[in-house]
Amino acid sequence: MTSPTITTPPRPAMPRRRWWRRVLLAAAFAGPGLIAANAGNDAGGIATYASAGAQFGYQTLFLMVLITVALVVVQEMCARLGAYTGEGLGALIREQFSLRVTAVALGAFLVANVGLVVSEFAGIAAAMELVGVSKFISIPVAAAVIWALVVYGSYRYAERVFLILSLAFLAYPIAAVLAHPDLGAAGSQLIWPHFTASKAFLLLAVALIGTTITPYMQFYIAAAIADKGIGPEDYPKERVDAVGGAIFADLISMFIIVATAAAITTRAPLASAQQAAQALRPVAGRFASQLFALGLLGASALAAAVVPLSTAYALSEAVGAERSVGKSFREARLFLSLFTGQIAIGAAVALIPGNLIQLLVQAQVLNGVITPILLTYVLVLANRRTLLGAAANGPVFRAVATACVAIIAVMAAAVLALTVAGWFGVG
Amino acid sequence: MVFPSPSAALRHRFERRSRRLEAAREVRESLVSLAGLIGRPVHDGDGEPLGRVADVVAHWNTDETYPPLSGVIVRVGARRAFVPASRIAAVGQQAVTLATARLDLRDFAARAGETALAAQVLDHQLVDIDGARVVRAADLYLATVGTVVRLVGVDVGFGSLLRRLGPARWRTRPTPEAVIDWASVYSFDPDAHHGRGGVRLARHRSELNTLRPAELADLLEDLGRRERHELLELVEPDTAADALEEMDADQLHQLLAESAAADAASLVARMEPDEAAEALRGLDHADRAAVLAAMDENAAQRLRPVLEFRASTAGGEMTTVLVLAHPRDTVADVRRMLAGQLEHVVDLDAIIVVDEDGRLVDDISLGELFVAEPDTRLSELIGPPWPITVTADTGLREVADRLIDARRLSVVVIDDDDRPLGRILADDVLDAVTAGRRWQFPRAR
Repeated sequence: MTSPTITTPPRPAMPRRRWWRRVLLAAAFAGPGLIAANAGNDAGGIATYASAGAQFGYQTLFLMVLITVALVVVQEMCARLGAYTGEGLGALIREQFSLRVTAVALGAFLVANVGLVVSEFAGIAAAMELVGVSKFISIPVAAAVIWALVVYGSYRYAERVFLILSLAFLAYPIAAVLAHPDLGAAGSQLIWPHFTASKAFLLLAVALIGTTITPYMQFYIAAAIADKGIGPEDYPKERVDAVGGAIFADLISMFIIVATAAAITTRAPLASAQQAAQALRPVAGRFASQLFALGLLGASALAAAVVPLSTAYALSEAVGAERSVGKSFREARLFLSLFTGQIAIGAAVALIPGNLIQLLVQAQVLNGVITPILLTYVLVLANRRTLLGAAANGPVFRAVATACVAIIAVMAAAVLALTVAGWFGVG
Repeated sequence: MVFPSPSAALRHRFERRSRRLEAAREVRESLVSLAGLIGRPVHDGDGEPLGRVADVVAHWNTDETYPPLSGVIVRVGARRAFVPASRIAAVGQQAVTLATARLDLRDFAARAGETALAAQVLDHQLVDIDGARVVRAADLYLATVGTVVRLVGVDVGFGSLLRRLGPARWRTRPTPEAVIDWASVYSFDPDAHHGRGGVRLARHRSELNTLRPAELADLLEDLGRRERHELLELVEPDTAADALEEMDADQLHQLLAESAAADAASLVARMEPDEAAEALRGLDHADRAAVLAAMDENAAQRLRPVLEFRASTAGGEMTTVLVLAHPRDTVADVRRMLAGQLEHVVDLDAIIVVDEDGRLVDDISLGELFVAEPDTRLSELIGPPWPITVTADTGLREVADRLIDARRLSVVVIDDDDRPLGRILADDVLDAVTAGRRWQFPRAR
């Protein structure tokens, strides 16, 4: 029975779209923890993991294990903060620190995320170049389309399309198995630390940290949990989601490294997306480029909208304009200008001529340098008994978390020092 | 007022404008920015510096509209000493001057009923009751009223945030552009262990109860966990129940799940049965059983049949509040019945006429009843348009189609024997059909 007199958006519950509904249902069951951690496997993530595999083979696997430990610790703290306070990190930082210290945190967060937006547009451009579209066409068009989709409210449907496109990357684990990787080498690298004392390795290590423990993910998980109203009673369940999500996401990352290491044996930095796509050859054969392009486009377009949105949300929340954001998006001036500004800057920077894949990796290095700054805030908040009461970090957890943050900070500082030295012609 | 020439009008406007600016300047000068005052010097009576302002403490549990200052926390070296208001001569924009030269260097200890403004109110969430929105205090303004220094307003402007980031010289200068009168602000109890109640809350309770349910629901969604529960406890249970009906489903389920079963039961019992069933469906089995058990038996009985049906079927979305009448009843009888159901009046748009066996005969709209003579028997009113009926397992899409075809405001849900079970109103169908359309922030899928 149909009715011609009313127009409603197509509802996923219609019987002929059952497969579609099933995908969405799976996405709905995926908790904030799983979604947040897997946001790490976006365009920048793929490029960085692929770069790691191509350049250093299996050598970064042990590092990934350490990063996973740190990610679990960090995501758990953020999830706990969200569940016990019902507020996002932006609001918590504003309430718990002085305004100037808050401004530093939010400024760092904004810079890191503009870097991410740049990398998302670079990802879109790289994907479109694989099918022969110049980035000078694809980036402006993508920026305009994404902006309009979000502002005029049809984003929810576009989002699902992007989400499904990005599922193309599930081909990586299969590719990793089919490529017959050197299991002995991979296994020993996984459990036995191998570090190369070179600037390139350090840079890549920080990029790996930056893309896996992205500041964006910490804000996302806390805000999503607060939004869903998950409270202390449900926290044990949510902790499984946060920890499991982090581990799952990093397993996928390691598969990407293994697949690329097995497929590309040049052991040089990745030159192009074309080259990166070769890792999918065991699954897709001569369509590897196309499959890679689809996945990259989906993941990038998804994040190109969600990253600036969450950034604008976190900043508005900290400024105290929560309400206007949820209710009437187009009337929230601060929110809208933050969103628009990030898209514009992101697209403009991505247009600068150069190697797109390396731009993607560099944006992750920037994130890696900023990550320890924000992790320090998270650590201080999660340690605070006045805020979390009995749920604050215990002595053992505190020691582990502090060690994680400290190690990340030292590596970030080293990269920063090397970069600055580079500007002055040293090193 | 008539002006002889355009230039005179212009001059008049200019004078008025400058008078206004003058007044604005006076107000600005009489206000003390709390954010600016922190870190400023504390002088003794002779102008000798004693220490610096660490925080300003105000009486919180008071029935006064503008909380009076109870004292200032002064930082002297590494210590924090409390100076009571009686020893303070003046609170200025740049400094606090004491009436005495002596300073009692006992460490400050928080007392019940008092709040340290910089630590516990500044940068925290507040409710602007008149504007029905959650705000975050960018600055607080103090003013000397007579001889008492009081908290008079909260600044929510972006400009004030920028001012606080700037150099010290800017920080002390008030920028009252977006100021909310403290009289219309609800502030949360910084110490949950103070115990609820007290005169402060009593004053706010009546104001909060003037909020519309949808506004209250928005406020609840925007607040942090502790604040949300505090606000909910403060409003009348009926208002709270109405607000919960408007809340986002996920948030509502969480709110109920973490409330005590008795509290949740009293709220759910006050909700309309269809909304209440929806709320209970989101809880897990144990929670739902606990809430139903804690509920008044009448209310629970109204809910149980609805809960047996699946969501987004007619049975799952219907309200079980029905007014049943027999053909021999008069219009006056029905009016008496309706008067007893006044609280449910939004869910009633017609009364149902049943025969001796309880089978549906007709559905008579309130409009028809309104124009009929009091002594008319319902049997005389029975006739077309006949009611639209659906069975409990009908999908909501089909219910919508039936409503559209018949141009009616509600449909009657019947069982296999034609006995009425409940009613679905057009607004419930609208809610269901447009559920996916409301803008939701895509961050939490």
